Amino acid sequence: MTKPSIIFNEVNERQGLFHRRAFLFGAVTGAGLLALGGRLGQLQLLQAGRYLTLSEHNEFGFRLTPPPRGLILDRYGVVLASNRPDFRLLVAKDEHTDIEAILANLARLVPMDDARRERLTADIQAAPRRAPVAVMEDMTWEEFSRINVRAPELPGVTADMGEVRVYPYGGSFAHVIGYVAKVSEADITRTGPNADPILLNPGFRIGKQGVEKAFDLPLRGRAGARKVEVDVKGRVVRKDPGGDIASTPGEPVRLTLDADIQNRALEVFGEDSGAAVMMDCRSGDILCLASAPSFDANRFVKGLTGAEYRALAAYDRKPLFNKALTATYPPGSTFKTMVALAALEMGIDPATTHTCNRVWFWGGRPWHCDKAHGTLDMHDAIKTSCDIYFFQTALAVGPDRIAAVARRFGLGAIHDIGIPGQKPGIVPDTAYKRRAFPRDPVWHPGETPSMGIGQGYVNVNALQLCVMAARLANGRRAIEPRLIHAIGPDVQSPGNAVPDLPFDKAHIDFVRAAMAAVVESGTAAHVAQLGLGPIKLAGKTGTAQSHNYTAAAQGAHGAQGAWALRDHAWFICFAPYDDPRYAMSVLVEHGGFGADAAAPKAVQLMRVALLKDPEIRARIVQPLPDGSAAGTPATPT
Amino acid sequence: MTASALTRPGERERLIVKLGQIDWTFCAVLTAITLAGGAMLWSIAGGSWTPWAAKHLILFAVCLAAMIALAMVDPRVWFALAYPVYGAGLVLLAAVAVVGHASLGAKRWLDIGPIRLQPSEIIKIGLVLAIARFYHSLPPGRARLSWWLLIPAAMTAIPAAAVAHQPDLGTALLIAATGGIMMILAGLSLRLVGAGLVGVVAILPPVFMFALKGYQRARLLTFLDPEADRSGAGYHIIQSKIALGSGGLLGKGFGLGTQSQLNFLPEKSTDFIFSSLAEEFGFVGCASILLLYAAAIFMSLRMASLSHSHFGRLAAAGVTTTFALCVLINGAMVMGLAPVVGVPMPLLSFGGTVMITMMVGFGLVLAVRVHRYSEVTSGRGALI
Repeated sequence: MTKPSIIFNEVNERQGLFHRRAFLFGAVTGAGLLALGGRLGQLQLLQAGRYLTLSEHNEFGFRLTPPPRGLILDRYGVVLASNRPDFRLLVAKDEHTDIEAILANLARLVPMDDARRERLTADIQAAPRRAPVAVMEDMTWEEFSRINVRAPELPGVTADMGEVRVYPYGGSFAHVIGYVAKVSEADITRTGPNADPILLNPGFRIGKQGVEKAFDLPLRGRAGARKVEVDVKGRVVRKDPGGDIASTPGEPVRLTLDADIQNRALEVFGEDSGAAVMMDCRSGDILCLASAPSFDANRFVKGLTGAEYRALAAYDRKPLFNKALTATYPPGSTFKTMVALAALEMGIDPATTHTCNRVWFWGGRPWHCDKAHGTLDMHDAIKTSCDIYFFQTALAVGPDRIAAVARRFGLGAIHDIGIPGQKPGIVPDTAYKRRAFPRDPVWHPGETPSMGIGQGYVNVNALQLCVMAARLANGRRAIEPRLIHAIGPDVQSPGNAVPDLPFDKAHIDFVRAAMAAVVESGTAAHVAQLGLGPIKLAGKTGTAQSHNYTAAAQGAHGAQGAWALRDHAWFICFAPYDDPRYAMSVLVEHGGFGADAAAPKAVQLMRVALLKDPEIRARIVQPLPDGSAAGTPATPT
Repeated sequence: MTASALTRPGERERLIVKLGQIDWTFCAVLTAITLAGGAMLWSIAGGSWTPWAAKHLILFAVCLAAMIALAMVDPRVWFALAYPVYGAGLVLLAAVAVVGHASLGAKRWLDIGPIRLQPSEIIKIGLVLAIARFYHSLPPGRARLSWWLLIPAAMTAIPAAAVAHQPDLGTALLIAATGGIMMILAGLSLRLVGAGLVGVVAILPPVFMFALKGYQRARLLTFLDPEADRSGAGYHIIQSKIALGSGGLLGKGFGLGTQSQLNFLPEKSTDFIFSSLAEEFGFVGCASILLLYAAAIFMSLRMASLSHSHFGRLAAAGVTTTFALCVLINGAMVMGLAPVVGVPMPLLSFGGTVMITMMVGFGLVLAVRVHRYSEVTSGRGALI
């Protein structure tokens, strides 16, 4: 390299070149600045009006976030209803949306048949502009991520994670807890809690039955909000997490039910149709409120298909029907306890005897009994469930007195346990006859014998019979059933803060003793043994006609003939007899004889309850003669 | 000023004479731009000196003093420092890649005790000085077309690549463009420049189709059609255009810009300060600021042309280039004419390092002007 000199020979050439190039650079820069000025003029002078509108409508908005729904728990805190994450796909349309194209694109990523595509197209078209419609729920993680990755190619489609209700025990609690389902138009009201805009949120569900419906508001919680920025067209263009309002989760609802007993009830019923209600006769807590057969509430959360719904509705054992509350049946012979008590209260001597020759002629017609019981007193009449004895006792007591006692024991009334759907049934008396039959307002004497054996107009539900059993077991208090233990922190008042029964304790004890005899040596002698040593059961069977027997159908008594024509089987009971804790009623619809169909089921459930009770267990497990506790293997010496 | 007075021996070295040689109009233009920036920073903070406006103005005052002080420094000192500064910049760039402080996913900072260094800013000045020094010593014929030109090309490419790796694509492009334009100013064959441009244009479509990854393509497309991604990358552009357009002729009034006041505008204190200004002061305000920038650029370019030394000319022109590129790129970006790259509007945007760089650069420009008659030798160790 030559040594550079201070002044170059070609100085003018180099300087001149620089000047030309600098001039060029200046010109290009000037042109650039002019271009910017031109662009400014275009935006600020020519299109100013349009942008002014846009700037005025640029605003913050809030998007509701649904709160997590409150849990439903059993008495020990076992979760009966909770929430699980749900990957779902939302589509919101605006004026540019080509729904067909979007769905066609989606169909390549996730399974979607043509029928579904058509329904979704209709759904999306019906939805308001920009209101997201859930087109898929319960996607797998793979499907969810597949959509998320391709989100930029799918305008209007968002994949998000919501929560959906889940009932871990499926059908066991379906009738009590009910279910949540999608909000229908009829659910939305103009005012009140159901005017809440959160109901319009895609995938939001409200309680439709049972506890979910009755306590929908506390379970629902309060919606939060996500602060977002929306443009003039209402589209979300930015999120602002700092401005979010947290949602308030729903309150947990704790029931008095015992999940073990409730689950066992469904197992015990199997294919049979019926109901089982168990109460703690000291506190009134309902430990079991089952109706069989049941249905999987989770299907309703998802949304039943037409075929599923038709199958459920068409099944003659009526799984959708809550047989513990909604269905009323004649109580049959279980009602004899009430007749006996009314007679005792009236002053009739229990030693009064009647003779049963299988047929008893009165009022110009024969009245039948199951068999010829011979001459017996009231105790034995209850024990052997003699109809002819109670025909005559009922005639002696009269319908009004029997009805008054039955009502004191909770029959013919709606017990407020917090959930809807109860039918009051009928406890008939002369006033009822006047009210209900304006064309024939007189109580005919011929109607009394039927009432004496729990037939005729008498109609009760399984809960009422359980309340009756519980009050008999308690013997003192007119305890009320309680299903809801607590809503959030609010513990509900227990069912034993009630007045005493206005009956002579000795009379109630008489009936209780007769019920013990039923199990010991009466109608349920071979079918209702607990097998728990000193813990004894007391009960009463009932076999209720499901229809009027014509002469031709006489032979249908019991478990014979077509299922739908068979008798309803009842069993009410309580245990332990000497220190009652648990009372229950079991109904087997068209089950035949109460002793055969209902009593064994009651015994199985009662055993679950008794064996769970540590004090009862302590009574059963007696020390062996050598001093070690039974059931614990002796240590080898 | 008479030639005789200044040609008196030693006269030009007197401090008072040197101060008189500073282009005070130029300083006034810079101050006016900065004051406008300060006012906007006050406005978008909701009428508050904190957190931006006060810092911005105080820093400018300090930088202004520093600029005047640097203007007193003889170009020969700058000349001697050219390669050392450039070398130091490269070393620091390498250091930042190894131990740099990562912020927002990019390693740009170097913490040295209490001082936070951004080597990409140092290399901006260093590159300008180094290229100017290289050309100063290069025989003129070689500046047009020769293998020697690979040296300034490499001088440009190495730091540009390092900065792009950080990744700071905006600054990398700025460095590369500055180096390239300086080579053109120094006399690079215009045919070569034209051929290069044609080549780039020809290679763009295949690169776009095959070499770019999906998201990179999407980002480019977003710039072309911001409506396609309203909440993502398109958001900045859309909101900025709304701010600009809604300003109209006279603006919404000082402190009344809804876009900037309500936080719709992202990066409103830095990259998008011009949008806030446009919203509140309208076309009139924007045009005035653009005129001020034009004035600053042309005055600076003229000062470069006045120099008697090639080093002075190129160094001053290099600084002017960086400044002009910043203005043009940022302007195009906020107006939706260019993709969003992190290039601030110099002096208007809040941001200490960029202001320091620019004011140091203008110190160099003013030094070239004040010492425009001094002749810079190129010998090693000839000075200081």
